[in-house]
Amino acid sequence: MTTAAPSESPAQTISSPDEQYIQVKDFSFWYGSSQVIFDQTFDMPKQKVTAFIGPSGCGKSTLLRCFNRMNDLIDGIHHTGDVQVGGESIFDPMLEVISLRKRVGMVFQKYNPFPKSIYENIVYSLRVAGRSKKSELDEVVERSLRSSALWDEVKDRLQDSALGLSGGQMQRLCIARAIANQPEILLMDEPCSALDPVATGKIEELIHSLKRQFTIVIVTHNMQQAARVSDRTAFFYLGKLIEYDETQKIFMNPEKSQTEDYVSGRFG
Amino acid sequence: MASQSDPTADPKRFDVSKGTLRLDNFMTHFIKVGGVGIILAVFAIFLFITWQVLPLFESAKVQEEAVIETGVADFQLVGVDEWGELPFMVDIAGDFTFVDIKRVDGETLVLGPLGVYKVTPKFADEVTFTAANYHSKSEEVIFGASDGRYTLVKVEYKPVFDDRGERKIEAKLKADKFYPLGKGLGAVRVIDYYDADKDRLVAALVEGDSGLETRATTFQRKKTPFGVGPWKPAKEYDLTSQIEGHPIKVLVTGQGNGVLVSTREGSVYSFLINQGEISLEQVFQPFEGLENPEIGSMDWLLGNESLVFTSAVGDNVIFAQYLPELTPEEEKAGVERKRQFTEINQLPKLDGPADLYSHSMRNRAFLLGSGPEASIRYGTTGVVRWEKSLDFTPKAGILGSRYETMLLADDTGRLHFYSIHDPHPEGGFKAFFSKIWYEGQNEPKWIYQSSAADAETEPKFSMVPLIFGTLKGTLYAMIFAIPIALLAALYTSQFLKPEYKKVVKPMMEIMASLPSVVLGFLGALWLAPIIDTRFPSIMLIMFFLPLTALIVGYGWGKLPQRYRLYLRPGQEFLIFIPLLIGIALIGWNLGPWVESWAFVYTNPDTGVATGDFRLWWPEHTGVSYDQRNSLVVGFMMGFAVIPIIFTIAEDAMSNVPQFLTSASLALGASRWQTAKRVVLPTASPGMFSAIMIGFGRAVGETMIVVMATGNTPIMDWNIFSGMRTQSANIAVELPEAPKDSTHFRILFFGALLLFVMTFVVNTVAEVARVRLRNKYKTVG
Repeated sequence: MTTAAPSESPAQTISSPDEQYIQVKDFSFWYGSSQVIFDQTFDMPKQKVTAFIGPSGCGKSTLLRCFNRMNDLIDGIHHTGDVQVGGESIFDPMLEVISLRKRVGMVFQKYNPFPKSIYENIVYSLRVAGRSKKSELDEVVERSLRSSALWDEVKDRLQDSALGLSGGQMQRLCIARAIANQPEILLMDEPCSALDPVATGKIEELIHSLKRQFTIVIVTHNMQQAARVSDRTAFFYLGKLIEYDETQKIFMNPEKSQTEDYVSGRFG
Repeated sequence: MASQSDPTADPKRFDVSKGTLRLDNFMTHFIKVGGVGIILAVFAIFLFITWQVLPLFESAKVQEEAVIETGVADFQLVGVDEWGELPFMVDIAGDFTFVDIKRVDGETLVLGPLGVYKVTPKFADEVTFTAANYHSKSEEVIFGASDGRYTLVKVEYKPVFDDRGERKIEAKLKADKFYPLGKGLGAVRVIDYYDADKDRLVAALVEGDSGLETRATTFQRKKTPFGVGPWKPAKEYDLTSQIEGHPIKVLVTGQGNGVLVSTREGSVYSFLINQGEISLEQVFQPFEGLENPEIGSMDWLLGNESLVFTSAVGDNVIFAQYLPELTPEEEKAGVERKRQFTEINQLPKLDGPADLYSHSMRNRAFLLGSGPEASIRYGTTGVVRWEKSLDFTPKAGILGSRYETMLLADDTGRLHFYSIHDPHPEGGFKAFFSKIWYEGQNEPKWIYQSSAADAETEPKFSMVPLIFGTLKGTLYAMIFAIPIALLAALYTSQFLKPEYKKVVKPMMEIMASLPSVVLGFLGALWLAPIIDTRFPSIMLIMFFLPLTALIVGYGWGKLPQRYRLYLRPGQEFLIFIPLLIGIALIGWNLGPWVESWAFVYTNPDTGVATGDFRLWWPEHTGVSYDQRNSLVVGFMMGFAVIPIIFTIAEDAMSNVPQFLTSASLALGASRWQTAKRVVLPTASPGMFSAIMIGFGRAVGETMIVVMATGNTPIMDWNIFSGMRTQSANIAVELPEAPKDSTHFRILFFGALLLFVMTFVVNTVAEVARVRLRNKYKTVG
């Protein structure tokens, strides 16, 4: 595989009144010698939910993890092209990766609270930033828990271990933790794949309410979920962006036959 | 998919083969047997060691074996041979009554074929004896006569074997000439003597012109290659005038250069003969504080170093000489330090003054009798080994020289034979863990000295210096090892690039498998001399390295991003290594300069000032400097422990789930913040285990400490002195300890302590680890 210009460009820049917040430009990505992302170009609007769908191994999670450079932890990666957040390249050597990650929060596939109290989990991002004023922390805890619809369930046991919560609660705690420091973007990597339908429903409601504040990118295997929560949907296949449009259009009237086959459940 | 034969047609396809079940069953039991076997093996080792150690804590078993009627009621003293088969009683006429004893079938004691028979030595003169005293060490009886003379009768025991190969003991009596104690003296009342090679000192209470006189007389003889000459009187001393009160007993001291006189009033006068002059050295009252300070008895313990006193009411104390510290005034006045008698041990009370005394020829055990009460006691520890209220009143008694038999004679002339089973009188908790005032010491101390120059010096078996040494060695090793190992593990697992980690980790694991004898050898022969000559350099390096690392690390963090780009994260060590090597070289070369500037030692004789740390340290701290010291052990044992702690701690840190570190990084934490706030707490149970396993290794480590510590069982925390650890002690002394001896069992006791120590440490560690793990357990 090479970086040679592909025969059919999947670049689909949507013109809309929204500010194009995350911009992916001719982006390709390699693990060692195997290319997993092929020359993608598209933009994601501010304060909208963008869903990445596609069969396993299509590179959607890898792309998501590029946005906060979590892939840096892996040995032997390299890329061409660029990703910009709010107009700044995230690969700029002068950029501190720590400050990028403060701007771009992330919720993982499997809920991963720290073995600490609920309170300490939420204030973690503030603590590492050196903010430790009690009143400020208390305020952030309440606001984050309210935003993630967890406040009423845990307000009486903030000092208990986070590991005593149920799976759905833990995932909502992780969301509360991710938004505690008010990032601009929230990346969600299949946030409901380890949860039961009731908990999934709660998370989806939460995403709805969160998009007023954050630009959300969500990776999901669940077509209905993508259809329910997202404003825009990008369909990937084998590392290529096949189609990117308004969610409704992708599900009701896709342009590409591959997209139609996938969303209607004929493969994947 | 179509296949040639329909697989659903095979009716056996759901069967489980018997072989599989059998193998499963077998393996289940096999593994169970293995597991239980290991637990049993450990338990069996523990039991075996305990079984070896238990006799150390048993008291003496004394059994009456026979009572034999001799018909000699007016005897003065009893004596016995080494084998306990031909005891004798001596009456005041100088007649010896031997009692032939035979053991039948190795069991019962009966009167032998010779029975009870009387022998009268061939005395040179017909005289009346007025005093007699038996020295069981030389097997000689000294008789004092009514005309102020004395003679010695040697009892020569000899084992002979008859035609059937049975052993019999024969005794021959050899009486010496009579020697006068002085001119114009009357009856000798109390007498004692000491024979050195060419000198003899006899001390006696003798009737004289002015009543009872205290006399000391020296005799000398010539020694030529053709034999020894006769004893000739050399010098007479009359001590009477120097003693207040009524002397009742005299003893000659162990070196034959002193006389002790006790008075009825309760004082002891200690005289010393020095170059022909006798001087009164000390007057002391052993029962000074008591209402009735009278002395009931005064006798030597084995070795003639310790005096056993009983008071008139049965108090029992032991006195020995020590060198007292001088008060500042005395020091100013130039008073010479003199050895003084002082109380070193107090034993349980008897019912009354001792009227019979005998000490063992093997150890510090002694027999005391007061009325019908008899007890065997141990001088060093002050413990009663055995006591009994007898149904008769013993008039005289003696412990067999092997401390296996005891003989008591009552006033009707019956001899009571006892067997003593007390193989380890030196043992007991007091001996192992309490401070004890040993003979020749200036204060009670914990001392370990298992073997001495001669049998008469008491062995010292305190376990405390060894436990101390074990902890000291471990502590210094851990101080060195824990920070290095844990920081290295943290760096390797969290910061180093994986490609370098792939090299570092196996290298450390190879280091862990280095035989400790190699490390000990290196420590003793390579590192010890280096530290010895270049300590200031080493100190500088140890100070400079962390300092440089901190400064460079801080500066690196402050550097603008564009300069930091030259090194990828995880490669920073590439600039550290040359820097640290450079700093180490500077420290190394700066050392001698610092030494000549800061550690100046001025030789008091020549006035020459040199920079020498080895001389400076003892001068300024008052503690010693040894080449084989704790620093060397700390380095070398640390070197042995580091790879173990490193490997286990690194595993624990690497096993912190990636989802936790990812969560932390995604929240904008730096690598160090992630390491500190997430990795360290989560890995803490594993790190704790690592430290404890390292601790266990250091406690049990043997070869390094044997070779590099100097093996001195001393107790101080001085980093420049050596130590002796339990394990090194076992390694060094086991080859020279006879099987089943006290020494042998004490080494096993050391092993048991080591076992218990590691057991306790591991148990505590495991409990703590489980608690930590519950505290920091993670989801999934």
